Amino acid sequence: MKHNNSLFIFLLISMSFSLQSVRAQEKTSPGKTIVSLRYYNANNSVQYLVLQSQLKKEGQITPISGKKYDIFLDKSDPANLIAKVTTDKNGKANAFIPPTMKSAWDATSQHIFMVYEGGEEIISDYTISKAKMSIDTSTVDSIHSISASVQKWEDGKWIPAAGVEMKLGIKRLGGVLPAGDEESYTTDSSGNVTAELKKLNMPGDSKGNYILVAQVEDNDLFGNILAEKVVPWGTTLQPDKSFFNKRTLWSTGIQAPFWLLFMAFGIIVSVWSTMIYLIFQIVKIKKNGLQESA
Amino acid sequence: MENSTRIQEQQIIKDLLPQKFGKRGMTWTVILLLICLIGGYAYYRQLRDGLVVTAMRDYVSWGIYISNFVFFVAISLVGSLITAIFRLSNVKWSTPLTRIAEIIAVSAIVMASLIIIVDMGRPERFYNLFLHGRIQSPIMWDVIVIATYFCISILLLYFPLLPDLKILIKNKDKSGPGLNKLYRFQGSFWKGTKEQFRISNKSINILCILIIPVAFSIHTVTSWLFATTYRPGWDSTNFGAYFISGAFLVGAGSVVVAMYIFRRYYHLEKYITELHFEKMGRIVVLLALLYLYFNVNEYLVPAFKMKKPEEAHLVELFTGEFSVMFWFAIMVGMIIPIIILLFKKGRKPLPMFIAGAMIVVGAWFKRYLIVTPTLLHPFLPMQDVPLSYQHYFPSWEEWAIAMGSLAAALLIITFFARVYPIIPIEETIMEQNKQNEKDEA
Amino acid sequence: MSCNCNKNENSNSRRDFLATGLLATLAAAGCSTGNNPFEPEDKVKLTGEKVKLLSVNGEVIEIDRAYLKPVPDLPQLSNREERRGISGKKFVMVIDLSRCKNLKKCQSACNHMHQIHPGQNWIKVLSMEDNENTSKYWQPTTCMHCDEPPCVKVCPVDATFKRQDGLVLIDSDRCIGCRFCMAACPYSTRVFNWEENTQLEPEVAAQHYSCETSIPQKKGTVGKCDFCPDMTRQGELPHCVSACPNGVFFFGDMNEDSVSNGAETFRFSDLIKDKAGYRLMEDLGTKPSVYYLPPVARNFPYENGLETQEAADKLNNTK
Repeated sequence: MKHNNSLFIFLLISMSFSLQSVRAQEKTSPGKTIVSLRYYNANNSVQYLVLQSQLKKEGQITPISGKKYDIFLDKSDPANLIAKVTTDKNGKANAFIPPTMKSAWDATSQHIFMVYEGGEEIISDYTISKAKMSIDTSTVDSIHSISASVQKWEDGKWIPAAGVEMKLGIKRLGGVLPAGDEESYTTDSSGNVTAELKKLNMPGDSKGNYILVAQVEDNDLFGNILAEKVVPWGTTLQPDKSFFNKRTLWSTGIQAPFWLLFMAFGIIVSVWSTMIYLIFQIVKIKKNGLQESA
Repeated sequence: MENSTRIQEQQIIKDLLPQKFGKRGMTWTVILLLICLIGGYAYYRQLRDGLVVTAMRDYVSWGIYISNFVFFVAISLVGSLITAIFRLSNVKWSTPLTRIAEIIAVSAIVMASLIIIVDMGRPERFYNLFLHGRIQSPIMWDVIVIATYFCISILLLYFPLLPDLKILIKNKDKSGPGLNKLYRFQGSFWKGTKEQFRISNKSINILCILIIPVAFSIHTVTSWLFATTYRPGWDSTNFGAYFISGAFLVGAGSVVVAMYIFRRYYHLEKYITELHFEKMGRIVVLLALLYLYFNVNEYLVPAFKMKKPEEAHLVELFTGEFSVMFWFAIMVGMIIPIIILLFKKGRKPLPMFIAGAMIVVGAWFKRYLIVTPTLLHPFLPMQDVPLSYQHYFPSWEEWAIAMGSLAAALLIITFFARVYPIIPIEETIMEQNKQNEKDEA
Repeated sequence: MSCNCNKNENSNSRRDFLATGLLATLAAAGCSTGNNPFEPEDKVKLTGEKVKLLSVNGEVIEIDRAYLKPVPDLPQLSNREERRGISGKKFVMVIDLSRCKNLKKCQSACNHMHQIHPGQNWIKVLSMEDNENTSKYWQPTTCMHCDEPPCVKVCPVDATFKRQDGLVLIDSDRCIGCRFCMAACPYSTRVFNWEENTQLEPEVAAQHYSCETSIPQKKGTVGKCDFCPDMTRQGELPHCVSACPNGVFFFGDMNEDSVSNGAETFRFSDLIKDKAGYRLMEDLGTKPSVYYLPPVARNFPYENGLETQEAADKLNNTK
């Protein structure tokens, strides 16, 4: 009986220890590294890749900075190295395709981008097809319309790309203001899509210009495509200056309101000049005293 | 005839010259110095670690440093009351009290400036106030009026002191060589000629007229530190007058306390007589009733309306967390002194001393009640903050520094009384002569 | 990213994209966005060195090396420029209370990116109940960046100031720590750095303080939400806006009449009118720049946010 009891207690204690060590392991789990690669095509000319490295730990996602990666085009040998990148403090890195890879680039319509860290393969199947997007405008009966056309390169020629979802509208801080009522627009079978501009009298810059944008985001085939066009359809910018650079109670000290300056300095000057007069009276008393003793 | 006036004169001078510290004086000074040193050590800790050593946090961002500041500014108004207003209205019996009042005013205003520097998070950047000051800020107004009031008070101390300096210089055997040098430096040019008296009296008159609006503005501007915000309890149009009436009351109370202490320990019964206590008593009652009136306006009118932000604040003052302190401040600070002083027996020296002390203590708590409870009732609920942010009780460092500042104020007064006559000698002699002439006639 | 079509562009960039015939049409429009989809050249710190890259069509284009960084360096701003702000902009924020679930992701992103003292929050997500009969809701509260800011009125040393782009910022190198601004703010949005932040990394603590990044926060000075002007200069949205998974925060420029939460962009005037936007404590006359959309047609019931609140309170009550 006694032996059984002590064995039982021993088992209990050892179990609790092992449980604790498992929990400890869970607490210090290293978290998962998430690396993503995105391809951008802007205005059918500049193309670039953005690599992002993040750490997901206990539900929180934080960027990883200072990590080195190699990006390759189609094959992972040194001839096909696009760039060696190091992530910045936000965990991101940019890469441009160097002109030396022109022949490789022109050769096919589809390309695979690969990311390696050291010798380890991180991403190996990010495939992008070449595409181009143009943006055009038309005005009928003073109703403005924006149209975008997407084409993809296939078998040596450009053919329309159907079913491409995009944002179509006016470029604003932080995003694209949709031209019409829908949030996104999709190209039809001929690769075109048109949106009527329902947002009238939007403010532009000081000349009344604003930028129209057609933006494809994270498309499975084409990545990110951007096309921009400047149009003079906006109202001229009328910045609201009612709260700044005026004589108010909340301006800098030099720009205090006149009534306050008058009152404050008027009082200060009158009181302090009286006090200075009184100090002179002390001097006068002193003079008189020295005179008397002489 | 001449002999008797001169003997009387000698007697006055003998009684009123500053006396060396006896055992009690030394003990008093040593205790005050100790309290100041503890306060100094607490301030060192605050400089080293930051304001985190206090109990102030993001909601109660102003604590007893600021309520001490308001308390000191309030007391400093007494200079204008006793010295200026009484002089201008030719109140003859106030002559012995003028210097006591002035030195209380000066020491209070000095400590007010120091305690506000203690409250700053970055005291080493004090010069920014002069380099980059904004005239629109009520703090800027406060800095200007406090500096102005300090200078005027010093002048108002200095001018009447000149005739006494002559007497002090003459009696150098009583004061010793070191102090004698000081007196010579400050006033050896005073000969007592008619011209000098004429200039001096004119200057004192100008100062008395000048100090009254400055004294009013010093406490009005301090009240605007609160009244220019939106908070319940502070957003009141009443604040300027309310603060000034409170300042007059606490200043008068502190003069009564000082009167009693100086009378007793320096044996000045012939100069600070029971008549003085009688007169001061009446004045204190009047001021207390005035302050009570302003309190009624300040609390009952919002209580009638019970606007939402004010409701929580007022309920807490009347019946909640701060109710004990609130009723203590009202009873001890106003009502009981009024009752004591309404009776002739209550206007004798000892009861008046007790009433004066009660007024001063009640006033300190009243200032605390003006600053802290409002900050605990912000418009938006106190959430997403550590628990310590939602309450306030001062830490030992804050108490040490606050007590240290009070001790330092008392020290300044003590040292002044040691160096200069606390009752104007020359003026007392002149009053006595005028009285004799009147009696003979 | 705005087009500076009214300015005289850098003649280099004009030469650049004229060289590539395809972009001649855009050049005719007089705009420099054609070649460079990134921040306009007059806004970033150019290195002067050019990098060659391959275009989609196999052409060779040149672009300044500064753009190889995902976030190109901005020219160092003087204190005077930081006090003036970005011209032509008037920042505004719209907070949609019907979407807030008290996840406090905005709070943690803001605290992390500004390296705020642990335990303090510049964004507070408050549990609000206007009266016993109305429903409870979660209200994220940032600094209101008022157009008549009571805090700026009372600052004695001009340490907090109002800029032409509407932002109210703090200069921690000038603040004397009097805390008058904290007493004056009716929204209780300002916090004070009561002690040294020992959790700051040494390089961060030693760097020069910028009013636009509000880093590093200094002991004995005041801090508050700054609408992330360092992000908006780069055309990005403030951290709280990007961090919220429910798209509660909308941020934009009133001069552009548009606000965005990163995924959706709305016309600001339409949004406020259609959804009856309001501002906090309107009757105080502070003219805040933050609008709230009332909590109607809620995405989540109020109770969904209680769990996060319990966890947060537990953390707070140990302090």
